[in-house]
Amino acid sequence: MSASKITRYWLIAASVGAALLAVIGAASLAIYAGTYNFAADIPHTGPVYWLLETARERSIAVRAADVVVPDDLGDPKRIASGAGQYAEMCSFCHLAPGMKRTEISRGLYPRAPELRRGSDLTPAEEFWVVKHGVKMTGMPAWGVTHNDEILWDVVAFLRKLPELTPDEYQALVKSAPKTHDEMMQEMESRPMDHEGH
Amino acid sequence: MRKSVFASVVSGTVALATCASVPLTSAVAHEEHQMECNETAINAMNADIQSMGDGEAKTTALKEMAMAEDMMAKKDMEACMAHMHNAMEALEK
Repeated sequence: MSASKITRYWLIAASVGAALLAVIGAASLAIYAGTYNFAADIPHTGPVYWLLETARERSIAVRAADVVVPDDLGDPKRIASGAGQYAEMCSFCHLAPGMKRTEISRGLYPRAPELRRGSDLTPAEEFWVVKHGVKMTGMPAWGVTHNDEILWDVVAFLRKLPELTPDEYQALVKSAPKTHDEMMQEMESRPMDHEGH
Repeated sequence: MRKSVFASVVSGTVALATCASVPLTSAVAHEEHQMECNETAINAMNADIQSMGDGEAKTTALKEMAMAEDMMAKKDMEACMAHMHNAMEALEK
């Protein structure tokens, strides 16, 4: 390789390095100056929202790929049990058929999806989200306190939720075999089952 | 350890650089009975629209909100409210 070629490569490498350092420096200054507004009542800019949304969707999809979905999600008992859990654990943020928006659902950012409108997630992805929660969204990791069976009941119910009228929803919640407290007491008397991922 | 710190700094700075280089888009959450044409209501509504799935309803809602903001800038609060109402209808489809 000729000397002039080597010099040119060094120049390019030095320029790229300097540009990178300048970007890191500018970004560090922006962080320190508190430029970006983290208030929940000011939406992200379009590109930031897209970036976070895409990163979150891919993270969930990749991690849910190994989750084994039970084949009884259509079981009416599971769905009824899930309805009871949903009403206690989820409806305050995700709402339910016939339910008006709550103060917390109006103030959360990003907004908790209204699950009665359906979801693009697969059952495995829904299970993963319910179990592990989602950082910086307000979605808790229910797997810390609930076993997998209870969480799958919720997923079974979520598959049914978009079809329900307000009356059907209320009837299903009332038909839940056990209240949330009873389920929790029963669960605490048994060791936690953590088969899922 | 050093690698992970470096990776965090680089990914953080790239995200921040993206934020800093893009002008703030228009504002948005709401509630029909107390809808007003002000920055808070527009921000809340925009947050609601962001969470919508892509489709015709979202496109309509975004257009209506852009018009609502134009009207607010022109101090035409009635027209602003009308566009916010249209956006909300699209949002609730």
